[in-house]
Amino acid sequence: MSLDRPELARLQHWMQEVVAHPGTIEEAIESDGAEQKIPSERLSDVVLPSHSMTSAERVGVYHGMYLMRMEEALETDYPVIRYHLGDRQFSHLVREYVQRYPSTSYTLNRLGDHLPQFFLDEPQWHDAAFLHDLARLELAMTEVFDEEESPVLGSEELEAVPPDAWEEARLRPIPALRLLAFKHAVIPNLVAYHEDRPSPGPRRRATWVVLYRRDYSVLRLELSRAEYDLLKAIVEGAPLGEALATAAASKSQRQQAKVFRWFRTWISEGLFTAIES
Amino acid sequence: MQNNRWGLPDLGLGVGLRTTHYAHILSEKPDIGFFEILTENYLDTGGRPLFMLDQIAERYPTVMHGVSMSIGSTDPINFEYLAKVRALAERTGSLWVSDHICWTGVLGRNTHDLLPLPYTEESLAHSVERIKVIQDFLERPLVLENPSTYLEFADDDMKEWEFVARLAEEADCGLLFDVNNVYVSAYNHGYDPVAYIDAIPADRVCQYHLAGHTNKGTHIIDTHSDHVVDPVWELFGHTIRTVGLRATLLEWDADIPPFEVVHQEVLKAGDWRRQEVANVA
Repeated sequence: MSLDRPELARLQHWMQEVVAHPGTIEEAIESDGAEQKIPSERLSDVVLPSHSMTSAERVGVYHGMYLMRMEEALETDYPVIRYHLGDRQFSHLVREYVQRYPSTSYTLNRLGDHLPQFFLDEPQWHDAAFLHDLARLELAMTEVFDEEESPVLGSEELEAVPPDAWEEARLRPIPALRLLAFKHAVIPNLVAYHEDRPSPGPRRRATWVVLYRRDYSVLRLELSRAEYDLLKAIVEGAPLGEALATAAASKSQRQQAKVFRWFRTWISEGLFTAIES
Repeated sequence: MQNNRWGLPDLGLGVGLRTTHYAHILSEKPDIGFFEILTENYLDTGGRPLFMLDQIAERYPTVMHGVSMSIGSTDPINFEYLAKVRALAERTGSLWVSDHICWTGVLGRNTHDLLPLPYTEESLAHSVERIKVIQDFLERPLVLENPSTYLEFADDDMKEWEFVARLAEEADCGLLFDVNNVYVSAYNHGYDPVAYIDAIPADRVCQYHLAGHTNKGTHIIDTHSDHVVDPVWELFGHTIRTVGLRATLLEWDADIPPFEVVHQEVLKAGDWRRQEVANVA
């Protein structure tokens, strides 16, 4: 092979550098990374022009499709953020995001995994703290969608627990469950998207949510702080006696009834897969 | 007319399995020969996609079609990915696993595009070695698709059809012959698509693809977003005459219409198949 002919690895490194470049095709071909591998003045020695397109235009077909593909993948996973930002801002976000977090997986389904982190990395982004919360919500929804299916704890298994074993019993959550605490009111934005109403935008309000899957649909329950704390303790493996005692610390009948109601809802919604006594 | 050398069956007419059609397929149980699944969509999910796939794979033959094997990449082979591909093939009973003659990324990245290989001796030898390793690992026939391409490298040592034919022979793998891709690349590069078809080793072809595309005037993009155009149907007829009958699949991936529309489109391929068989008889 002549020195002038780029070997396969160099050719591929160059092409990826150009295709994934965030600027125009001309900027991509003349970028430092691309120039180091194949000088731009040598482009037509590497890529032939066609009867109707220059060498740069032909590489530009791949360059143009790259960001489009990334945007399609991210808008599938983050429809609420796209709805809030609008098309133009969302495209800008995608361009910035894939520069910092390009895909390293065989699947595009996980391209957006770093979006919550991106908004922490980029606090200068308008409403970054709110977008961080919204991204956490939407990421968790994709995780719940894809988690392993598991059996749901039934009433027979609960009734089979001996009365003296309840104190030390532990409930195991289904894999398709995410418990989340937010600093912003994210749910009204999710609802507005689904109802095609204007996005309410950022509003600071502590919010607690459990996301879970039932019959292959992603569902949610909004929680109070006390509900969240109790469910978190249970999900993290605390013995039921300890978790319930903390939640019903006042020991008032009203509080105990409330805790019992929460507990019944969680069981009936299928948040647990097993009880270990 | 010849058969492929592995004796893989002609499954008749199939369509690409898409999420928007799940409910229709399960409720209406359309009369269709097989479904082709997009491999990567089912590798890391235990949710609804896999639940639907299991039900469909119980009723219909399936084959797997991937986009991330990156057989021409100079990066190391991703065996973690291949192990998942193999497990999914076992779960679904897929008759074969296919991917593309291309590369998708280097330096640990994935552009998720089917990027073109230079048709050089170096690139051929590199790809052949990788296909042999991958095929051994998968323990089933690997079937590779000729790509749509939008550029040509100046240092190519051979025409695309020679590269494809030699790749299949030297790596001892199967071919998924995409008739629309031949039309698209022939338009983009100004060569004769019939010469391409005539050069393909018939006994290595296990499946056909048909699809619509978007003509931009200066070039054609393989968008899978429309009906198959008449010149591609003509090329399909020529392919059947030259290569023989094979499992024939219609791809429709963008602006996806209702299932009935996709089904009607692939039934046109059935007309072509019957016509060519009648002509031979």
